[in-house]
Amino acid sequence: MRLGFYPKLALTGIAKNKKTYIPYILTGIGMVMMFYIVTFLSKNDAVGAMRGGESVQGFLSLGITVIGIFSTILLFYTNSFLIRRRKKEFGLYNILGMGKGNLSRVILWESLIIAVTSIVLGLGCGVLFSKVAELLVSKLLNSTVGFDFTINKDALGMTLKWFGVIFVLILLNSLYQIYKSKPVELMKSESVGEKPPKANWLLALVGIVLLGGAYYLAITIQDPVTAMILFFVAVIMVIVATYLLFIAGSVTFCRLLQKNKRYYYKTNHFISLSSMVYRMKRNGAGLASICILSTMVLVMISSTSCLYIGGEDMLLQRYPRNMILRTDAADTEYTEYFHQVIDEQLREHQQTEENIVHYHYVSISGIMEGNEIIFDEDKLNSSVDYSKVWSVFIIPLEDYNQIMGTSETLAEGEALIYATKSNFKYDEITLDGIGTFRTKKTESFVANETDTMQIMPSLFMFVPDVTDALNSINDILAKMGMEERAYIHDYYGFDLACSEEEQTEIYNAVMDRATKEYVMEATGLSEEEVLQQNVNVSFQSMALQRDGFLALNSGFFALGLILGLVFICGAVLIMYYKQIIEGYEDQSRFEILQKVGMTKKEIKKSINSQVLTVFFAPLIMSGIHMGFAFPLVSKLLTLFGLMNTRLLAIITLGCFGVFALFYILVYLATSRAYYGIVSENNLD
Amino acid sequence: MAILEVSNIKKIYTTRFGANKVQALSDVSFSVEKGEYVAIMGESGSGKTTLLNILAALDRPTSGSVRLDGHELSQIRESKIAEFRRDNLGFVFQDFNLLDTFTLKDNIMLPLVLAGKQYGEMRARLTPIVQKLGIEGLMGKYPYEVSGGQKQRAAVARALITHPKLILADEPTGALDSKSTDELLELFGKINQEGQTILMVTHSVKAASHANRVLFIKDGEVFHQIYRGNSSNEELYQKISDTLTILMTGGERR
Repeated sequence: MRLGFYPKLALTGIAKNKKTYIPYILTGIGMVMMFYIVTFLSKNDAVGAMRGGESVQGFLSLGITVIGIFSTILLFYTNSFLIRRRKKEFGLYNILGMGKGNLSRVILWESLIIAVTSIVLGLGCGVLFSKVAELLVSKLLNSTVGFDFTINKDALGMTLKWFGVIFVLILLNSLYQIYKSKPVELMKSESVGEKPPKANWLLALVGIVLLGGAYYLAITIQDPVTAMILFFVAVIMVIVATYLLFIAGSVTFCRLLQKNKRYYYKTNHFISLSSMVYRMKRNGAGLASICILSTMVLVMISSTSCLYIGGEDMLLQRYPRNMILRTDAADTEYTEYFHQVIDEQLREHQQTEENIVHYHYVSISGIMEGNEIIFDEDKLNSSVDYSKVWSVFIIPLEDYNQIMGTSETLAEGEALIYATKSNFKYDEITLDGIGTFRTKKTESFVANETDTMQIMPSLFMFVPDVTDALNSINDILAKMGMEERAYIHDYYGFDLACSEEEQTEIYNAVMDRATKEYVMEATGLSEEEVLQQNVNVSFQSMALQRDGFLALNSGFFALGLILGLVFICGAVLIMYYKQIIEGYEDQSRFEILQKVGMTKKEIKKSINSQVLTVFFAPLIMSGIHMGFAFPLVSKLLTLFGLMNTRLLAIITLGCFGVFALFYILVYLATSRAYYGIVSENNLD
Repeated sequence: MAILEVSNIKKIYTTRFGANKVQALSDVSFSVEKGEYVAIMGESGSGKTTLLNILAALDRPTSGSVRLDGHELSQIRESKIAEFRRDNLGFVFQDFNLLDTFTLKDNIMLPLVLAGKQYGEMRARLTPIVQKLGIEGLMGKYPYEVSGGQKQRAAVARALITHPKLILADEPTGALDSKSTDELLELFGKINQEGQTILMVTHSVKAASHANRVLFIKDGEVFHQIYRGNSSNEELYQKISDTLTILMTGGERR
């Protein structure tokens, strides 16, 4: 009989408080499951063996730490809430003659039951769903895995250890709480006489100004470089502003409405408004955190999934054709050699080039001041404002017409221009030391890897003859005291109809012949002469790049997805508990209201409007944040080579929609629980 | 004219599955005239609170009828009952039941706000009442900032502001010190003299001795009643004490 007493007491304790304990245990199960799955993926040999799998695993092991820390915080938070709620019950046991030692045994049993349930069920679900996760990762990486089912002992051990420690710490904390408090205190439930919150105009105003400033920054920034630099400034401004607005702004706003007697003394507004002041004071910080957390998560998920889905696009931006040969040489004659090598190899593999893109260009970087680009080494080195640094590509008009299939002509002193990442809005452009041109604009040209991979904006200029420009650039370089001469870049891209494997073979064969020895043999030059030519060759195959690219993006994506899921669950759970606490505090208030003559319907309405406000304020705010962050994020993504704003818009909206749906579901559950608590004994 | 008529009410509480039945009120009948000041006394468990809840329309009797100003309470539709309560009844509770999120002023105006009155009218009604109760200086304060006596006076003001037909007071002096108790009882006497009907449920002999009539409830029935007649408060106090002694010792009905 005595043996079963404490476990029995613990079990009834849990069963009686199931409204608060079930979500806690579910959190435990969920966290254990996620932790195991992420650890499993990052340690699983099958994932490691996939193409790009190692890179994904690298990202995931970062995720383990984050999930570990987050679950610790979350479980501690929820437990402290549970303990607070149960102090009264423990106080009663204490007065009935149970010593603190006995109470500790009850708590010990409770913790044991919860920990074992969470870990066992969590691991069970984890093992079950780990295969699904593995399949998903293989899908992300366009890879395949077998259907064999494995349990990773390392991951199992790590999860057990980590959560074992967390639960022991939580137990110690609960015991400490019980030992610290006196029975009378245990009996006393909630404190009475909370000071009414005061409106803080200054902080509210600062919040509005900061938020306005951040939003202004977000929508006015035009070029990606400034966007990158100011992104973090804007993020910090938004974070501070969100806290200020939720903590001080909300109270001030309510107070302002209360000042308006006609508005305030209306049945609908009276109760809600005066309770909201207190609610916001208690929950302002929490709601702000939830708002920021969900905004970050949503931005993270939408941008990583955009990078993943738009990966092929980005690849095409960087590598507009299957194979790209770029030869940089001061004199064009040696460029021919590499074209020959490629021709030979293609003949050998019985392939022909398709969709050829072939053009020449000379390039230089300078500082844009007004409509003038200045080439000055000192300025270039000291310039902090990177958004002013532009790359200039000067290309023969003939090449442009051939590639674009146009027949553009230019008058004397005129140039066709095309700018990326930024706008050039002047009618005339001066290149310091090269000349002044009237501008004629064009909206497109083939993407180019040099431009895509750098964050500076680029100006493509098409002129009838590049020789003048080349000579001028050589003069500029000489003036800067540089010995080498400017390159003429030969850009040659083409598609192949054959499989990616064969493309890789051709690629490797070409690369074998790009060595010094081959060049010497083919051109009959001495080693010294070859080196003097100062030739740079880059040959790239999209097929080869794709794997690395995919791995990186999938890694980002998987991490974003998992962390996003965990954070959102956490945020929503915190909301749930906040509402439950409120419910208990509101219980007596609604009892009074009913006695004073408020109908059940009115009470229900008032409850709904308050819960709705508290619940959806962070969601709406984060929606607004995301709306303003959108232009900034889309500019940042152009730095990664993702130009597809529409894709980002669709994905962002989609993510927000899914999140909102999930949020609404939790709201329905929460408001039910809240209503149940408030109406206990007095309504219905 | 009787403002409240209670006839043969019976209340039986049943546990959820009907296993146990507890009879709280067996057969209660009495009536209260307009302008009367009636105290109901009884021990814990005698059914006082049940009776008050039924009178307040917070609970319904198992059988019997309650008529307030000619309206049969059981005939009022569920949706109208809160409105009815708001317009016809004023409540004063032992633990004040002021909302701590409101200032005293807002607490007092609460019933009017719920009734959807205009702000101007609320103000016009508020001023004379708070002046009469001597709390006009405390309107901007929150309940936790004032004393128990002041809280109870604010609660009385909240009950009076709707000009109710009947004030129901549930142990109004239960949480007050003796000085505040005296003040409150004096106040009750004063508003009664101005024509306000009051029904008070109490344990306190002192509180009951201020009433015009005292009803005694025992085992769910009206056991006895005393009219003040021409007695002073002290004489009435003595009579009540005597009656209680008889009640306690299980004496027969006189």
